[in-house]
Amino acid sequence: MATIDGSSIKKLIVACDAGMGSSVMLASSLKKQLAKNGVTVEHSAVAQIPSDADLVFTQAGLADRARHTVPDVPVVPFQLFLGDPAVAKIVKAIQNGDSFEV
Amino acid sequence: MSDFTPVATGTGVRARVQRGGAFLAGMIMPNLGAFIAWGLVTALFIPDGWVNRIARATGAIGAKDSTSFATEASAIVGPIIVFLIPILIGYTGGRTVHGQRGAVVGAVATVGVIMTPFALHLGSAKVPAPEHWESLGPQFLGALIIGPVAALVMKYVDRLFESRVKGGFEMLVDNFSAGIVGGVMALVGLFGLGPVVYWLTTVLGAFVDSLVNARLLPLASIIIEPAKILFLNNAIGNGVLVPLGAAQAKVTGKSILFMLESNPGPGLGILTAMMLFGPLAIRATVPAAIVVQFLGGIHEIYFPYVLMKPILVIAAIAGGASGVLMFSIFNDGLVSAASPGSIIAYIFVASPGDLPTILLGIIVSAGVSFIIGAILLGFGHGKQSGLDLEAAREQSARNKNKPATAPAA
Repeated sequence: MATIDGSSIKKLIVACDAGMGSSVMLASSLKKQLAKNGVTVEHSAVAQIPSDADLVFTQAGLADRARHTVPDVPVVPFQLFLGDPAVAKIVKAIQNGDSFEV
Repeated sequence: MSDFTPVATGTGVRARVQRGGAFLAGMIMPNLGAFIAWGLVTALFIPDGWVNRIARATGAIGAKDSTSFATEASAIVGPIIVFLIPILIGYTGGRTVHGQRGAVVGAVATVGVIMTPFALHLGSAKVPAPEHWESLGPQFLGALIIGPVAALVMKYVDRLFESRVKGGFEMLVDNFSAGIVGGVMALVGLFGLGPVVYWLTTVLGAFVDSLVNARLLPLASIIIEPAKILFLNNAIGNGVLVPLGAAQAKVTGKSILFMLESNPGPGLGILTAMMLFGPLAIRATVPAAIVVQFLGGIHEIYFPYVLMKPILVIAAIAGGASGVLMFSIFNDGLVSAASPGSIIAYIFVASPGDLPTILLGIIVSAGVSFIIGAILLGFGHGKQSGLDLEAAREQSARNKNKPATAPAA
């Protein structure tokens, strides 16, 4: 558990198995939500998450592999690709510049 | 910094299988556009393709004739499947291992395994030796192996020469080491790996054919559907079934194997059951998920709903199996991979003439998944739902936490 300052997030990666399907979908919706906050949102395969990411979103079933790829980057596992509370909470914190727990 | 996250635990069996599958799928998936291009030109221009069918139906040509346009255009079909796609796979596999240099030697080496049956006149295993390059099979399995292996060799050779090359000779050494490794690995592919994978592909193809003929293929859903839910969908669909299906489609013009994993029916059935009878707190998220899954073809979106209530995997298996049964009864097939597994992709790559029965099979599998899913969810009147919103929300939160707190095994 660590507390992260929402305004320190500049590069957010959404990762899925192939980096072509579900991650692209979630990334494009987050991109719109976070455009005003100067956050770069990108999608990637879990095996190729860039190590300069500030935060990684990935489905709970892939979280282990994401952590294996980037051990030093906080990984936020979520359940649902649409409307997951874990994602919504952090998006809100980033938008408001609040801190949040991972 | 590392106290952000628990110790990296990417060693579970599931993570390992996912990673192995992702390595295979990673060679296929970036090249799916080529598969689809091949599927589309095939469906349009082969003797029994759309162009000739329409021309025959309008009486422009005789019932057994082909238009000269379709005949000419069909010249693209063979080279794409025999040469381009295996080489792209070998190239991509090489690039994953060792960047652009790995990609180049991987591509060169792939040509070796492609040409084995032609060069060595392999005609054992009850398959006639090809007389012309067009009758070569698509050597995907060989490409999946030789591409990364050739790149690995290149990587070691590069390491050997690293910092031992005199200034000014770097380019000479780089180009010729890649050329020599590529050429040698092409020979290794031709004489060494080629015969082995040719035999393997023939045996594997015969095994799949016998499963199809014995109508045992629906049993595959018992493995495929649970594996999908564990995010092995790409590993199985693109890593295994697409190469096998394309090999079959090269010979028979279509393959049922493309439909085993990509059928959007079971997901639709489960999501519909969730929308009507699932925990109240999440019902509202489901309609959008249905659009993404059924029309967009992103199946991942329904896996979490099954993980929330794992018993639903039975609905997925039953729906998947009944779909496969329908497809095999009607002898349906797709001309190429339906990737992503969207109903729209199905319409484009359905073998001409099979579309009505394929749609029927998808509807049946959705229906079966829905009915069994609805029963398993107690038609919304089970103890976990009902009209008490608070209880439902709690329950769904509890369910939601289950897979998260239990680390992926």
